[in-house]
Amino acid sequence: MYKINIEKSAGKIELPFLQRISRRFMKEKQLWMVCIPMIVFVLIFAYYPMYGVLVSFMDYIPGAPIIGSKWVGLKYFIEFFNSPDLEMIMRNTLAISGLNILFGFPAPIILALLLNELQNRHFKKVVQTVSYLPNFISWVVAASLIFTLFGSEGVINRLIQDMGLTEEPVGFLSTGKYFWWLITMANIWKGVGWSAIIYLSAMAGIDRELYQAGAVDGLGRFGMVWHITLPGISTTILLLWILRIGGILNAGFDQQLLIGNAMTREYWEVIDTYAYRYGIQLGRYSYATAVGLFKSVISILLIFVTNRASKKLAGASIF
Amino acid sequence: MYYQAGMKKGFGSRSFDLFNILFMLVFSFLVLYPFWNQLVYSFNDGNDAARGGLYFWPRVISFDAYGFLFSNQRLAKGAVVSIMRVVVGTTTCLFCTGLLAYIVTIRSFSGRRFMRILFMITMYISGGLIPYYLLISRIGLINTFTVYWLPNLLNAYYMLLMASFIQELPESLMEAARIDGCTELKTYRKIVVPMSMPVYAAVAVYLSVEHWNSWFDCMIYNPSGEWDTLQVFLRRMLLEREAAAQATDQIVRNTRFNKVTPLTIRAATTMVVTIPIAVVYPFFQKYFVGGLTLGSVKG
Repeated sequence: MYKINIEKSAGKIELPFLQRISRRFMKEKQLWMVCIPMIVFVLIFAYYPMYGVLVSFMDYIPGAPIIGSKWVGLKYFIEFFNSPDLEMIMRNTLAISGLNILFGFPAPIILALLLNELQNRHFKKVVQTVSYLPNFISWVVAASLIFTLFGSEGVINRLIQDMGLTEEPVGFLSTGKYFWWLITMANIWKGVGWSAIIYLSAMAGIDRELYQAGAVDGLGRFGMVWHITLPGISTTILLLWILRIGGILNAGFDQQLLIGNAMTREYWEVIDTYAYRYGIQLGRYSYATAVGLFKSVISILLIFVTNRASKKLAGASIF
Repeated sequence: MYYQAGMKKGFGSRSFDLFNILFMLVFSFLVLYPFWNQLVYSFNDGNDAARGGLYFWPRVISFDAYGFLFSNQRLAKGAVVSIMRVVVGTTTCLFCTGLLAYIVTIRSFSGRRFMRILFMITMYISGGLIPYYLLISRIGLINTFTVYWLPNLLNAYYMLLMASFIQELPESLMEAARIDGCTELKTYRKIVVPMSMPVYAAVAVYLSVEHWNSWFDCMIYNPSGEWDTLQVFLRRMLLEREAAAQATDQIVRNTRFNKVTPLTIRAATTMVVTIPIAVVYPFFQKYFVGGLTLGSVKG
């Protein structure tokens, strides 16, 4: 504001709008020359697919332009709601996600708290480095490891046979009812070390004077954890919790496709894999896009609701 | 630990320490054992491995699985494609996203906010898998190598991560370069890139790991198999176990590596895919942990 006033008082004439724009553009020509390809790029690869969501309201024929396709309204959404598969995929999505939240959400918090209590810094560093490894391998590798471990000649089966728990090998990979637990375990194994980082960095940010004050007040070691460390990371916990609830319909994708098989489909087919199967494998683009859109809309609603709730109850929010 | 200096340790506290160390040892074991077990299988005689019960050490040592793999043309090709993907994908994305990050930090640039918002929207809203797939097939990227790097050139998350670092650089340096007549691209190359090496390293590590590990886009966008990466090679062994068994039986009969089974070949392949990452990641820890916390603090 200050600058403009000076210019005006110096008697500068205001240029017409278009001229001002073009002057500015000429001055920043180089930058815009770099920006324009970037804008074109993002319009094609990010915004065009958003527009492509419209095919869920149309009878889309592959290859034909989206604009000219026949408008069918909510036909595909209704088909999805009346589908006999709906119950199965919603059950699996919520069950796998629910188990992930129930066990997978506290796991990194507990790991971080325990790591934070380790006295030897080198030992802590080594354990942390080890804990990241599963995060860096692909789900393909993870699935291969699981196949070897849980296969009928694998270590797990041999172990329970030696312990006399079963006579015959258990088909962990081919029995549907084990799938939810298998995938929960795999998710924790793969993610716990990496997810703990964020809590550890929150703990590192806690004011050390609090601990000194706590010691003066006679807090013991567990008291410190309960009254200082945990409250110190509670905002982080809450924010990650909101994100987790918002993503409750993200029950995983790679895991299901790689660890699951035809025998266990009844227990692993979730919304994302269902949309993939119908869309890309069976070529029902409109239907699959409708399924995907349904999921996105619910997810956005969920994140708004949980965000609002936590803002009100705890004063923390992600936006 | 810092807050226990001067505190007397009671019995409870000391037994907790002991428990904690034991817990961490068990935890590390559980994390590492699946890899070790796979390694054991890959070095064991195939027919013997089928008997099961391989815990900690190979029973009948055999290097045939690796011998078979390293004489396999398809594995060699997969490795070449994987490495090409990592190199091309990482460098192009790093350069372009870094440039974008630089642009959205130039305070005097009128399009700064517009560019930032244009890209940030893509973090929260996307068209989803199917419309994206339709786009890729429409512009003719199916069955090309291009599909691995071109659609990922500009990444909004990495833009924010890099921009939050570049913002902290002294503005006067860039200003001086401009006054000396550097073009924006030259300023970026000569000033911004060399000074932002820590964040470039962090993003480079993320990108290389992502490219090395991705399998789904290879599978759906390259169904012809011409650009199969190592991950896809391994995935074929996983999902088409029966088919793979027959195919390998035929191949194996014609080679000198007769002590292999699909199981040991798969184990060896898994190791080949894992070892590059397992060897490299501990050395880059500083960068990726830094990148993660930087991203979380700046939102």
